[in-house]
Amino acid sequence: MQVRFWGVRGSIPAPGPETNRYGGNTSCVSVTTASGELIIIDMGTGAMPLGHSLMSTDLGRGAGKATLLLSHSHWDHIQGFPFFPPIFVPGNHFSIYGNAKSSSMLEGILEGQMNPHFSPIYTLKNLGADIEFSGVEPGKPFSAAGVTIRACSNPHGVATALAYRLEENGRALVYASDVGYPDSGPSAEALALYHGADVLIHDTTFAPEDRQPRLDRGLSSYVDAARAAALAGGVRHLVLFHYDQDYTDDRVDEMRDACRRELADLGAPDIQVTAAAEALTLDI
Amino acid sequence: MKVRFWGVRGSIPVPGPTTNRYGGNTSCVEVEAPGAPPIIIDAGTGIRKLGKALLSREGKKKTRAHLLISHTHWDHIQGLPFFSPLYGSGSQLTIYARQRDDTHLRAIFASQTEDPYFPVPLASVKADIQFRELVEGQEFFIDGARVRCTRLNHPWIAMAYRIDAGGASVVYASDTAPFSDILLEHEFIATPPKLGAPLDPRDAEILATMRAGLIDLCRGVDLLIYDTQFTPEEYGQKPHWGHSTPDDAIAVAIDAGAKTLALYHHAPARTDDEQDRILAECRARVGSRLGIIAAREGMEIDLVAEGPGSSPTGDVAVTGAVGGH
Repeated sequence: MQVRFWGVRGSIPAPGPETNRYGGNTSCVSVTTASGELIIIDMGTGAMPLGHSLMSTDLGRGAGKATLLLSHSHWDHIQGFPFFPPIFVPGNHFSIYGNAKSSSMLEGILEGQMNPHFSPIYTLKNLGADIEFSGVEPGKPFSAAGVTIRACSNPHGVATALAYRLEENGRALVYASDVGYPDSGPSAEALALYHGADVLIHDTTFAPEDRQPRLDRGLSSYVDAARAAALAGGVRHLVLFHYDQDYTDDRVDEMRDACRRELADLGAPDIQVTAAAEALTLDI
Repeated sequence: MKVRFWGVRGSIPVPGPTTNRYGGNTSCVEVEAPGAPPIIIDAGTGIRKLGKALLSREGKKKTRAHLLISHTHWDHIQGLPFFSPLYGSGSQLTIYARQRDDTHLRAIFASQTEDPYFPVPLASVKADIQFRELVEGQEFFIDGARVRCTRLNHPWIAMAYRIDAGGASVVYASDTAPFSDILLEHEFIATPPKLGAPLDPRDAEILATMRAGLIDLCRGVDLLIYDTQFTPEEYGQKPHWGHSTPDDAIAVAIDAGAKTLALYHHAPARTDDEQDRILAECRARVGSRLGIIAAREGMEIDLVAEGPGSSPTGDVAVTGAVGGH
């Protein structure tokens, strides 16, 4: 699997010179499988540059397909969807999986995004591509794009967000964004999902000192991310993700260094730490 | 009167080095009018930093502000939940937008932040939020500032606003298509008509009236902020998207006798260098008939009132960066 980051920011896009290095687009990650299939995790504003880059492939000719995994439907995880050019190309096929009890509920959530008060698209029916919706049942593995996928439901403030584990040829990628653990830490299901991940992309919105005013939002600090990675066991590489909109590039640098120190203190100095940045590519 | 640009982009925020100079945040303009509390036009992502600036200027956690919304497409409201004064008790926000046939304004804004789209519902914020529903042609006052509005040619209909205070004036006209090729109201248009094809006479009449209303609104204005998202080529492909070219804006500005035109609502794909070129071409074409600037984040414009000691045509002074960035 090859992972590429298109948006690494949380909450709201944060344009400006102070975010040039890590990027100001909201959450979007693409995964190209060993067999060349495309999986996209979350559709923040990073989905727009991703979509433009795909227009030179089969997806630009109406002969492409892709799997979209949505962690949840807060704006910063879906706001790029109507700006993803391949979705307008007739002949393309998309399978969208998301945090809903049924396929029609998931479809209804994205239909609400197209409401004519908010969007000139009016309804999903005006998108050209063929779209299939599936609600994800946590804990129940499914197969998409030739990859085995499993999800667990993480607490995210008053809501929940799905964390996804993608396995192919004995390699595992985990995406766990937008999670605020209770004082007891990650659930047994979450730790099992993260266990042995070659790459764990984890919510690292802020430093612990910024947690207090933001408790309700259900997000992780770098300490939460480090603890989750260390507790899960067997995690090889922790990737920091979903930065606070007010965090400058320098602040993210500091967070990455502090996370490395935290892992050393936790007795897990061997876990590699990278701060996700737009255009960063990882081969798993 | 001071006008400050906090977000100048259309459609979707575009972070990255190619938009650093003009800025990647979506639509938001602040008008500091003498004798009035802060007036904000549109609540794209630019309003996030404006909210912080308002609180830091006043040195407290609350403020009183008035927000004029051109229309409720995402790029004009997506920053509102990140406007920090909403979360300070004692803050007062009055939101104005065009009345809708099918629902109340409060319901539209409430659905922006409802589950499962956003964690903090509008009903739970500490600020006192009032809604004022407008009809085109309406006139009202925000303390010492006189506000007028008229409708524009955009899907689901947008409003243009004019603010007059202390002898200075500004018009905000975004988003709108020109008034020549297609009438945009509530119907979804999948494929545009052929440009140059004759218009339905009823549509032609509505468009002519709409343009006359806009010219009226812009008459003699010191600063006209206008949707210039498209190049002529882009407009040719997407006339039904509801955006104009600089030439359309220049024609309205000259017809109305506006003093300065601000190109605004830049396309997401427009790089800073392309925007520089567009501005230079406009200036070369128009010459001294009209002042033209391209709005950029952080730009502050001081509109000097007409009166003894000032220029008879009013002066536009671009005074550079806004504080608080």
